[in-house]
Amino acid sequence: MLQIEHLSKTYANGVEALKDVSLTIPTGMFGLLGPNGAGKSTLMRTLATLQEPDEGSIHLNGTDARREPDALRRRLGYLPQEFGVYPRVSPEVMLHHLAVLKGIGDRAQRNALVERLLVQTNLWDVRKKNLDTFSRGMRQRFGIAQALIGEPALIIVDEPTAGLDPAERRRFHNLLARIGEDVVVILSTHIVEDVSDLCTRMAIMANGRILLEGEPAALIGKLEGRLWKQLVAGDEVASLRERLPIVSTRLVAGRAEIRVVGSERPDDLEPAQPTLEDVYFATLQQHGVNVALD
Amino acid sequence: MFREIFNFECRYQRGGPLFITTALMFFVFAFLAMASENVTVGDGTKNLNLNAPFTLIQTHFILSIVAMFAAVAFVATALTRDLELKTNETLAATGVGRMPFLFGRFAGGYLFALLSGCAAVLGTLVGSFMPWLDPQRIAPFEFGPYWFSIWAVMLPNLLIICSLVGAVAALTRSLMASYVVLVAVIIADIVVGQNTDPETIGRMALLDPFGLVAFEDLTRYWTVFERNTRVPDMTGVLLANRLIWLTVSAIALAIAARGFDFSIRSARSSRRAAKALAVSHDGVMLNVTSLRTKPQFDGALVVKQWWSQVRIDVRGVLRSYPFYVIVAFGMFNVLAGFFGAITQYYGTPMYPVTPVMLRVVDGSYVFIVFIIIVYYCGEIVHRERQTRVAQYVDAAPFPNGVMIAAKVAALWLIVVILMLAVMLTSMAVQAGHGFFHFELMRYIVGLFVVHGWPMYLFCVLGVCIQSMVPNKFLGMLILIALFFGLNTMNNLGWEHVLYQMGVPSGKLSDMNGWGHYVEPMVTVGAYWSLWMLLVGIVAHLFAVRGAGNDRWAVARTRLTPAVRIVAAATVLSASVLGGWIFYNTNVLNHYETADDRDALQADYEKLYKQYQKLPMPELVNLDAAVDIYPSQRRVESRGSAVLENVHAQPISEIDLHISRLLTINSLDIPGATAIEEDPKRGFHRFALAQPLAPGAKLTMQWDLSWLNPGFVNSGSATRVVENGTFVDNRNVMPLIGYDTGSELSDNNKRRKLGLPPVERLPKYASVAADAPNQFGVHERTTFHAVVSTSADQIAIAPGYLKSDRTEGGRRYFEYEMDKPIWPYVSFQSARYAVANDRWNDVALQVFYHPDHAFNVARMIDASKKSLDYFSREFSPYQYRQFRILEFPAYETFAESFPNTIPFSEGIGFIANLQDPKYIDYVFYVTAHELAHQWWGHQFVGRHAQGETLLVETLAQYSALMVMEHEYGPGQMRRFLKYELDNYLKNRGGEKIEELPLNLVEDQGYVHYRKGSLAMYALKDAIGEDAVNRALRNMLARYAFKGAPFPMSGDLIDAFRAEAPADKQALITALFEKITLWDLSVSDAHVEPTDDGRFRVTMSVATKQFEADGAGKETEVPLDVWLDVGVFGKAAEGLGENDLPVPLLIEKRHFDTATSTLEFVVDQRPVRVGIDPYNKMIDRNPDDNLKAVE
Repeated sequence: MLQIEHLSKTYANGVEALKDVSLTIPTGMFGLLGPNGAGKSTLMRTLATLQEPDEGSIHLNGTDARREPDALRRRLGYLPQEFGVYPRVSPEVMLHHLAVLKGIGDRAQRNALVERLLVQTNLWDVRKKNLDTFSRGMRQRFGIAQALIGEPALIIVDEPTAGLDPAERRRFHNLLARIGEDVVVILSTHIVEDVSDLCTRMAIMANGRILLEGEPAALIGKLEGRLWKQLVAGDEVASLRERLPIVSTRLVAGRAEIRVVGSERPDDLEPAQPTLEDVYFATLQQHGVNVALD
Repeated sequence: MFREIFNFECRYQRGGPLFITTALMFFVFAFLAMASENVTVGDGTKNLNLNAPFTLIQTHFILSIVAMFAAVAFVATALTRDLELKTNETLAATGVGRMPFLFGRFAGGYLFALLSGCAAVLGTLVGSFMPWLDPQRIAPFEFGPYWFSIWAVMLPNLLIICSLVGAVAALTRSLMASYVVLVAVIIADIVVGQNTDPETIGRMALLDPFGLVAFEDLTRYWTVFERNTRVPDMTGVLLANRLIWLTVSAIALAIAARGFDFSIRSARSSRRAAKALAVSHDGVMLNVTSLRTKPQFDGALVVKQWWSQVRIDVRGVLRSYPFYVIVAFGMFNVLAGFFGAITQYYGTPMYPVTPVMLRVVDGSYVFIVFIIIVYYCGEIVHRERQTRVAQYVDAAPFPNGVMIAAKVAALWLIVVILMLAVMLTSMAVQAGHGFFHFELMRYIVGLFVVHGWPMYLFCVLGVCIQSMVPNKFLGMLILIALFFGLNTMNNLGWEHVLYQMGVPSGKLSDMNGWGHYVEPMVTVGAYWSLWMLLVGIVAHLFAVRGAGNDRWAVARTRLTPAVRIVAAATVLSASVLGGWIFYNTNVLNHYETADDRDALQADYEKLYKQYQKLPMPELVNLDAAVDIYPSQRRVESRGSAVLENVHAQPISEIDLHISRLLTINSLDIPGATAIEEDPKRGFHRFALAQPLAPGAKLTMQWDLSWLNPGFVNSGSATRVVENGTFVDNRNVMPLIGYDTGSELSDNNKRRKLGLPPVERLPKYASVAADAPNQFGVHERTTFHAVVSTSADQIAIAPGYLKSDRTEGGRRYFEYEMDKPIWPYVSFQSARYAVANDRWNDVALQVFYHPDHAFNVARMIDASKKSLDYFSREFSPYQYRQFRILEFPAYETFAESFPNTIPFSEGIGFIANLQDPKYIDYVFYVTAHELAHQWWGHQFVGRHAQGETLLVETLAQYSALMVMEHEYGPGQMRRFLKYELDNYLKNRGGEKIEELPLNLVEDQGYVHYRKGSLAMYALKDAIGEDAVNRALRNMLARYAFKGAPFPMSGDLIDAFRAEAPADKQALITALFEKITLWDLSVSDAHVEPTDDGRFRVTMSVATKQFEADGAGKETEVPLDVWLDVGVFGKAAEGLGENDLPVPLLIEKRHFDTATSTLEFVVDQRPVRVGIDPYNKMIDRNPDDNLKAVE
């Protein structure tokens, strides 16, 4: 169980990246959804002990991570949003190195572990190739392999599917889904599908704050009967927006489908089946977060 | 189309940072080379104007070689850029032609490489106008040399290198391949540049792509005057070189144009893509349970984490391409250095003993290691951030210090690997020379400790700087600035080891090991290691982990009590050790800088030169007791001397010069009172209560100590050492009167310190008949000495051994000379092996270091043959014994004391003479020094200009004659070729003025090198017997006699007396003028005669020039006999420099500048020559021979 209490961080340039963030995250896959610039990565880096918050506390299974960052690091698996590799180093060598850094000092154990990691992330055939020649998807698999070293109690996965093609993304989801239930896994993303596919709990974050937290199904349930949609011509959207609290617009066969949240059915809109995406947009709109709606 | 591509390229480069930085770098470098004393490019230009054409052009040649890196940056990248940016296919689609693309890009790149090179020319130009430059060394502005630098240096050199690199880049589309070409060119250039002895330079001049060797060949014999005024003509080897290499570059471009295909995809990248695709994505079976591996966090793990990081960092360096470029550069530099060092004397190899190898490593490799550190400090420290590996590695559970400790250790390991590589190379070179005495311990200590230690310290400093700065280039810049800052501090007189970071290195001698250098090395090294530990702690505090944190706040949290305690303990122990160093350098010893020493010398002259002319009594009986304590590096010198007034007037003042390094325990001159005592500068004046009447004597007694307590900051004495002490009377006894040898000799320094230009020797015309001799005295002295040393060493002084006893753990040797000698004596002590032999009644001994037995027999042989020749041809040998004694290679010379010759381990003892084709300089040096027993000890000249003609030139002649009888005229010609080269080359390095032999002012290149040539030419003209007769006459008149001592004119008169009338002009030319001949065959053809023989007609040019002191030449009328020869087919087995037995050789008289000669010979002539054996001083000896048409 990861407990985050009153976490705040203001950068030197005045940007408030985290504003009094409190979350309690149980084991299982936890999705953190938010637009770019919401503060997700700052929160992830802070949880990964890479960045000191100004205020607040983090406890992992009772360990105070700010006082003992190394204690948290020992239970941490971290796949950052953007990461690199050493040039001319193979995944095998790099995993060995990372395994030592993560406390697997015994060579026999490490050999076994690295071998299994390579096999299970399907990198065995390319274990001697240089990481810097890998495709994005292969690199992400290496990323997950390294995050799994050393019995982590907390796994942080930051924007893992950005830039992956649909097939790679699916494969990656398959990987993530098998990590297990007795571990806290935080999946930070701006892609709603990632969360709906994988997560048992989630939170929506924007402007450094947690706007909403809960189980995806329950959150979707709350929109049941309150969501309405209509197909309109593209040039009508602007004028409609003045009349209606549109939460999202998307193109369907060349026409724009607008979605509106409200307890009453407005005008001639028809009821719509809510999805997590609707929850996301509605929450953002409710908190006045400007998200590009086109 | 070409124009568009070219314009595009120009726009691309013009705006880019590459051009700005490169041009700026060249400008600043060239500017500093001109305007700062601390930056020098090239060498041997200290005696020239700062803006002498020679200096300017040499500087630009060297910078044009450096500019080849710019060539790669501009041209190779221009041709490979599209591939890297993956725009090649887009480009191909635009339908740009192959040729316009290739040449447009190439021309654009070349233009900017050239502009960068020209920025250097501009830099020197601007630099030469800086107001702080010494106006006496700045000549009025001349456009010529700058223009030459542009059109003859920068323009072709950059074109050549750009073509070679560009052609490879165009054909391979690989930047790496271009770098390989670059390295190959560098290597070739170094190898070529190192093989420039007089026998090979002509060929090498053509092989050097940059023409620097050709320029050196062309200007090799330029005098100061010419270097200051002349711009070379584009002729001869330089022209040939430029033409050859421009042709090569045209061919390279043509090949590139044929083979270039800009639409190709790099084969590599497509292969890569194929591999990536080949991996299957299916069948993912992530089973987290199976991955469960429990981490174990303990102390042992921390070590493993550290080591794993070290390995991955070292691996990163070892797999990076620039590393091998720099290492290859270093390896070839050091190889070239090895070959240069091994054959430095007369082209004869020496045994590649470890000290020689280590000296080369120090000179040509250590800076490569330094460059690698500077570069890879930045790479390694910023590696995780730059590659963004830090994003996850920083979150791994390792303690903070591990990363920084691993970075330092990785760099150390790189240094160790580099040293290991050079060690193996060095041993391979030794093995290649058939030398298998591998001294592993010396290598280990020398490479990994002596040379490695400062590097280890520098690594820590580099890691600290790099971990504090945000950008690695900024860090490198700071590191380099610091390095130059340290050097500049030195130049500004801030020399103390307490703030000059480093580890004082020491000279290694086979005899003495690292000797007394060990103590300061270890102490100062430890001191700086402690500071670097502190620097390492600072690095640890500020090392970046994670992102976006306040580094001061982080540093505060890392400053734990444990860190504080370690830091405090470090500062404390560094301070204690610093105190101990200070105690050694400033309390036990006197701390002084190079400037301090200069100032002391200047003051000595300013204060005491006024007493130089005072008449002084002279030593007539010398009785010395010298106790050498080798392990303490201490000499106790006691003694008494009878001084006699040898002048006509009474003497009321006695001045003594006592080395300022000596401690005066007591000094007693009866009836004298000290009126001035200046032990700091070493001058003491005494007034006699009762003036010393002419012929009267008094006895002076002294008790002096040369203590070398602890260690000094710099400039430690190398004369008193643990094994191989060599001191003379100047070092350990009072000298009588003012000592001109203590004056500052560098005129630039003298000017700064307010002294007039140095007077090297009294002017010839100004010296009186009763003037003292070269030793500064009129009288000889008896000599008796007891020299003691530790029980395991042998101590030697001139004279014959009277007794040898060991008492109280010390060995006492008593020496006595049976006839008076000049007051010029040496004392030596070492653990020697001794070789004994005899020549007639003369005992021969060589005292040598037991490892250096190689040439001992040859020294004895040379001694016997020399004694034989000299005593037969000149006069009997005056002693019953002759000894050679090895001393450590801190200095490389041999010196002739009465019956005793100290001989440096560096010059003869390790020469490798197994192959008889090499010049036997051991034989030569031995014969030369032995000849001084005549020329110096029997016979010595008046102290005046020309004095060394009577001593050094005659010793040189004597050695030549013994050598010629031993090795024949062929070997003699090769020797003289080196002498000629050495003489002509060193004229350009003259600091004041060149003088003819009769007025020579102790100028080695004149009295040795030109002396050899002049004496050999004289001998050739009038015969060995006539020369020796003249010398015998001189000995008969002057040997063992007092004033008046002979002058150079007396010797020349003796030669004239033996020479026929038609050889008098030659004597004038050789000895009284600076004469150069320009002899050449302009035309030669042959026609058969009716009787089956061959008529040869040759036209020769024979010119004679006289040069003034600066080297300005004037043609003068000619009156000389010269060899004329006709040569047939070369016999088998002759080297290309050897001439066959001539079909005809005879002496002809010449008095016109051109003449035509005719001969009839029996066999078909192949070559003809004027002065074919190069007996005359001719700046262009190669055109003396010509093939017959």
